[in-house]
Amino acid sequence: MEVMKSLSDVADSKQQQEQQQQQQHFHVLAVDDSVIDRKLLERLLKGSSYKVTCVDSGDEALKYLGLIDHDDQKPTDSSSLTSPYPQQSSSEQEGSKVINLIMTDYCMPGMSGYDLLKRVKGSSWKDIPVVVMSSENVPSRINMCLEEGAEEFLLKPLQISDLKKLQPYLLKTLDQPSSSIDSSNNLVVEEIGDDDHDGQSKINEEINKGSVMNNTNASSISKRKAVTTETSDRIPKMKGLVVA
Amino acid sequence: MEVGQMQRQWVDYTKSLFLEGLLDGQFLQLQQLQDESNPDFVVEVVSLFFDDSEKLLNDITRALEQPSVDFKKIGAHVHQFKGSSSSVGAQRVKNGCIPFRNFCEEQNIEGCIRCLQQLKQEYYLVKNKLETLFAMEQQIVAAGGSIPMLELSF
Repeated sequence: MEVMKSLSDVADSKQQQEQQQQQQHFHVLAVDDSVIDRKLLERLLKGSSYKVTCVDSGDEALKYLGLIDHDDQKPTDSSSLTSPYPQQSSSEQEGSKVINLIMTDYCMPGMSGYDLLKRVKGSSWKDIPVVVMSSENVPSRINMCLEEGAEEFLLKPLQISDLKKLQPYLLKTLDQPSSSIDSSNNLVVEEIGDDDHDGQSKINEEINKGSVMNNTNASSISKRKAVTTETSDRIPKMKGLVVA
Repeated sequence: MEVGQMQRQWVDYTKSLFLEGLLDGQFLQLQQLQDESNPDFVVEVVSLFFDDSEKLLNDITRALEQPSVDFKKIGAHVHQFKGSSSSVGAQRVKNGCIPFRNFCEEQNIEGCIRCLQQLKQEYYLVKNKLETLFAMEQQIVAAGGSIPMLELSF
């Protein structure tokens, strides 16, 4: 009994280690026309050890994905194409270009996030999870995006606590069943507060080293996510430190 | 002034900005994203915000001065301003954008002009306060101290 138990522990921790290593190579394509939001998103994602590529428009995103000329291109020979970006024939990776998640703003001049979502879902990248972000909580807009295949719709401004909502989608791309996720231990994600409505503690201060992260949910905005599709994401509050 | 005193001053000043409604919880998020690997994160983001805002305010001002006012364009600028101010936690600026957008939709030029005035006031106020705050931070760091972490809840 004892032996069996410790063997499975070893297997678990190996799996955890592997997951951690793989997470450090998660590549997110972030699309937002606001330079401030790109900076924020980049910092949030890098804080979880993800690799981030930021572009400022839907067109640039399509270029990056190699979709600019053709919707469902499955090239056998790319020599006739003038695009400087390599074409992809598999949805997730080919050669050096791996994308695990696309995060896009909804409201952008030119191509909207919704248009980009449609293009992606109609292309060879269709299996990549797409998360749409918006500063406006418009139910019809949210439903439209979800129906078009967006995995998630997040309200802006994004917060540290929103990152944990991305984990299931990223881990899915590793072909791991999501039930094996133990987000409190595996993932290098900073857990600062949660959608916690149970009341806040009184004001207190810490005059201390700047690098110590405190557990706080100061922004008591009622809904971080516009549409709640599952209650299982109400993970209890956990403390965590960013491994920068 | 010794470091501890400077830090306490910083804490008091920061708290006042929250109590006056100039900043909201999003600003705290920015502070929490600042660490040893990203020691100037807040200043960097806020600087981007300042640059972006000056441009937006100029564009809006010019657009309102045109013989034929393009309310749609102004609305788009205001939407952008609302987004950026929201992302940095500049609460009163963000709130000032809401009636402005309504006036744009109504194509109410008087309302727009009033809102622009109000918005400029709020923006320059928070800009001023934040610049003061950053100056205090520089002093603390120069004196060998570190910027405190705040835990606030409202």
